[in-house]
Amino acid sequence: MTTTDIGARPVIDELIDGPTVLSITEEAWISLVGEDEVLVPIPGELPADVVSSWVDVVGPWTGSVVLTTSRRTAEDLSRALLRESAPEVLEEEDVVDAFGEIANVVGGSVKAVLPGHSALSLPSVGTAPEIRNPADVCRIDVLWRGEPIVISVQGALPALPPHSTTP
Amino acid sequence: MRALVIDDSRAMRRIVSSILTGFGYEVRDAGHGGEALDVLNEGWVPDLATIDWNMPVMDGLQFVSAVRANPAWRSMTMMMVTSESEHTQIVRALAAGAHEYVIKPFTADAIRDKLALLGLLPQEVAL
Repeated sequence: MTTTDIGARPVIDELIDGPTVLSITEEAWISLVGEDEVLVPIPGELPADVVSSWVDVVGPWTGSVVLTTSRRTAEDLSRALLRESAPEVLEEEDVVDAFGEIANVVGGSVKAVLPGHSALSLPSVGTAPEIRNPADVCRIDVLWRGEPIVISVQGALPALPPHSTTP
Repeated sequence: MRALVIDDSRAMRRIVSSILTGFGYEVRDAGHGGEALDVLNEGWVPDLATIDWNMPVMDGLQFVSAVRANPAWRSMTMMMVTSESEHTQIVRALAAGAHEYVIKPFTADAIRDKLALLGLLPQEVAL
């Protein structure tokens, strides 16, 4: 289905592609995590204990920009952001703040690429929103310091029913 | 020179504060617009405020409007530092009274360039 169908809405692959999401994420990484921090676009296996941070985008395309990684990697990311002001023992709120801010910056840049006016939510951290329509997902897999991170731009709405051809 | 860094993210406040401290600024921070107004009402009026847009309690645009409504704070330069990058949003912020706009993600050089444009880069840093 494409946006030329009557009553259709765009799916994310029509609006943004994987290389653009990767480029956006790399730019955020350099700014937030550090100039020497490299993302390698290779998939890795996420462990069972993962945490996600995301922002919601509401507009002509509605969905979420979600980062998912292991809890330990989320903590390492938070330490990288906080640098010398990172406490010896990270509190949950430190991880929520720092990991959420990465989603905020990546999500803001994704929103900028999407057509029309969209609103961006404040970031959330926890269990990622479920994927409602597998056809409305743009996912990239990267390694940071050898640890897997998944960035997913995923629609919030279920797939539309097939378009009726009956008069 | 003094700067007030306003952002709901502690990590982002640290990043912006670190850049400005490196430029020689004395920096305070606030987690939202309401907290920032409390700082101003204490009498600590900075030369520069960096302001996130999306924050709980009082967002950046509301803060800019509140500052513009008080003639005592007119000397303060306001720079939005935000992930809101749509042209219409930039126009809204500038119309409300912000002087400059930096889109996240940014580099220290981007902040430095904006400060230079605003005449707020200490001379020893500009050289």
